[in-house]
Amino acid sequence: MIHNLEYEFMFRKVCFVLLCALSVAGQPAMAQEPAATAQPAASEPAATTANVGGGEDFKSLDQEVQSLKKEVLDLNRELFVLEEDLLFPANTQVAVFVSMDVGEFFALDSVTLKLDNKEVANYLYTEREAQALLKGGVHRVFIGNLKAGEHELLALFTGQGPHTRDYRRGATIKLEKGVGAKYVELKISDKAVKAQPEFIVKEWE
Amino acid sequence: MLKVLHIFFKHLLPLWSVRRAAILSTVAGLAIVIPLSARCEEPTIGQPSVDFALRSLTGANVRLSEHRGEVVLINFWATWCGPCRQEMPLLDELYSKYQRAGFTLLGVNIDATAAQAGEMVHALKVTYPVLLDDRQEVSRAYRVGSMPLTVLIDRQGVVRYVSQGFKPGFEKRYAEWLRELLNE
Repeated sequence: MIHNLEYEFMFRKVCFVLLCALSVAGQPAMAQEPAATAQPAASEPAATTANVGGGEDFKSLDQEVQSLKKEVLDLNRELFVLEEDLLFPANTQVAVFVSMDVGEFFALDSVTLKLDNKEVANYLYTEREAQALLKGGVHRVFIGNLKAGEHELLALFTGQGPHTRDYRRGATIKLEKGVGAKYVELKISDKAVKAQPEFIVKEWE
Repeated sequence: MLKVLHIFFKHLLPLWSVRRAAILSTVAGLAIVIPLSARCEEPTIGQPSVDFALRSLTGANVRLSEHRGEVVLINFWATWCGPCRQEMPLLDELYSKYQRAGFTLLGVNIDATAAQAGEMVHALKVTYPVLLDDRQEVSRAYRVGSMPLTVLIDRQGVVRYVSQGFKPGFEKRYAEWLRELLNE
């Protein structure tokens, strides 16, 4: 199955390169067409029918080029999705996301992820990125491959807690990786009762 | 010429010890390889700059891609680097002069501790943001071989100029490059 995917990937890449070459080759032809139609008009003012014909040819060529460009963009998008499927196939894919809620008791500075005691991600959040999270954004901090079985994910959050004190907190989750992609959300929310931030680790179904 | 070579191989070479020959060939090889590899150790001009996020001396995190749309000068330096001490005040002048025109200067310090960097910045009265690359991940990504290294990035995030080392007068060429990129 992987070989078929590889061949398909290569085939699509070759098609993409050929289409790009065709679209580039089409542009000089487009540039020459108006010049070719302009010259007879200058020398023979009576030949208006030829000009109109030339204009229509130009329009149809332009439409062809536009549709070719659209096909190239669609193919590029498909290639991108195919590449991700190839590098991170669904049966071994694991992705970890970070989200924030409210943020009154915690200002996020960085997140470090360790999978089975091995550091896999270390992301520093700028002020702009932290604001984006507070507005409802979700950040994919890690995407990788995991074998089926039991694994341990440790997330370390660094930031400023209540009263602008430096805050460092860890959250651990035991991951049972089966068939299919695994998505884990690390949610930072405020626990008003304790006036402290709360770090929730949630697996998406 | 052939006669010389014949004499060399038949009569002189056997007189050398194997160890001496091995040392000489290693030195000759290194003499060729080191300059070549040094020439290769530079960020690639014309390629998109490598994005990164580092903590600054003020505590805020700074990400390079958030400065897209501005001309950015990244200067890699260390406290043990003499030319860096000469260069930094001149860079600060450029920063003060062109900041309002859409120019940002990021100093990246590669020392292991922030305290040393902070002391030097305070002593030199530098005002531009100084970032701390204590893990040296960014300096590895930018293939920093010698200090200081100056990288100029245009508004589209493409590396346009790279300058290794510093001599008096370099700041004039930085200003010329800067004006060119700001006028684009």
